[in-house]
Amino acid sequence: MRRTDRYRYPVIMTILVLLHFTVRSHLGDDRVAPDFLLLALLIYTIRAEPGKSAAAGFIIGLLRDALTPVSFGAGALAHTLVGFFSSWAKAVFFAEHVFVKFCLFFAGTWIRNLIVLLVSGKLQSSQVAWELLVWSPLQGVTTALVGISVLWFFRGWLSPRRAGAGLGVST
Amino acid sequence: MAIGTDRYASRADTLLFLACVGLSIAALSLPPQWREPLANGLQQSVLAPFIVLQRQTELLTAARLRYDNVVAQRDSAALAAAFLPELRSENARLRELLGLSAKLGSGYVSAEILHQPEPTNPLSFLVSAGRREGVRPLSAVVSPEGLVGLVASVGEHSSVVLSWAHPEFRASAIAQDGSVVGIAAPHGAEGPGVWLLELQGVLYRQRVPNGTVIVTSGLGGVFPRGIPIGVVVDTAGEEKGWGRTYLVRPAIHPAQLSHVMILTTPRPAGADLRNAFTVPQDSALTGEVPPE
Repeated sequence: MRRTDRYRYPVIMTILVLLHFTVRSHLGDDRVAPDFLLLALLIYTIRAEPGKSAAAGFIIGLLRDALTPVSFGAGALAHTLVGFFSSWAKAVFFAEHVFVKFCLFFAGTWIRNLIVLLVSGKLQSSQVAWELLVWSPLQGVTTALVGISVLWFFRGWLSPRRAGAGLGVST
Repeated sequence: MAIGTDRYASRADTLLFLACVGLSIAALSLPPQWREPLANGLQQSVLAPFIVLQRQTELLTAARLRYDNVVAQRDSAALAAAFLPELRSENARLRELLGLSAKLGSGYVSAEILHQPEPTNPLSFLVSAGRREGVRPLSAVVSPEGLVGLVASVGEHSSVVLSWAHPEFRASAIAQDGSVVGIAAPHGAEGPGVWLLELQGVLYRQRVPNGTVIVTSGLGGVFPRGIPIGVVVDTAGEEKGWGRTYLVRPAIHPAQLSHVMILTTPRPAGADLRNAFTVPQDSALTGEVPPE
């Protein structure tokens, strides 16, 4: 293990957070633009334990709720669930395949949006079908594409460590 | 950090997950009066740098958009400014024409200069008024500054005008104060002299100082009395010892014109249009004696 390994994840997470607050607003419709914060969480969950992933999701969700206090708590719950189950799913269906990761990012985005809609009580709205069948899938696709690009671009940094190279490895 | 299927078995993970879910539900059930202070606290602490960053990015984008708009506006203004002197000049001329029309009262037609009818004859031009508008051959063509020429031929809605520079142009002329009488004619048929007039047939004993304004005399019935022709600028020579010829700078150059007025109705005998026109600026030179 190289000495710089421990800094790689924070660097990538920081880049994604910065992209979220700088670039995202210029990438078109807010409902379709890739969600860099969620992407950072999902990438984190690939290697983190479910508990830590849930905690990270809770923190990210709470911070997002602070920016939109109307549905305060909905984002925290949605990100907590997505973080935990993403980490769990990655553990169960472990496969270093691009399609699996694409599906993980897509499903994570879509489920997050579904939970937020459910919890914030907006399911009665006439726009919910559009939200779940059009906008959320589109955002899922854009987020997944960006996620795959990030994983490809930083493949040297994000590739799973070999057995025995890291801490807590079990075979 | 564990990798593999067995990492889900951790009880700590489950407890942490349940704690987060519990906190989320607690946040959801917070009354509105508690949510806002909590959200504000997060915005002003943890999220503050990100909000500032986002605001700066938006400002940068807005500044760039404004810069593009400013550049576009500057280009448009520069383009408009390129035509501004021409528009101002044309506007001034039209205002002068309006002033002249008010002074003339009636018996005239306004016309736009269209183009020169014959490339080989740049001393005549086409105007946008003809027989239907009341224009007749030999009608006087004037501008606010003075005499431009006369109508040579008339079409249905257009006319050919011979400018004062045409070799066939002649006008009975008189000094503004009535002291000198002569014939105004083009100074030359080609070269720079073509854009000067000369006052021919002035009695030898009569001296015409530089700056004397020459106007039409009204004799002959073609041009009404009092239309400025130009200003005497020099002597051109003597004619066989009994008369003098003076160089006259015309009141208006045809190239400066975009619109003219054609006098359609014959003026009554004795009518003087002198007060209707702009006084040539060189009239201030009146009194100067030409060098011998």
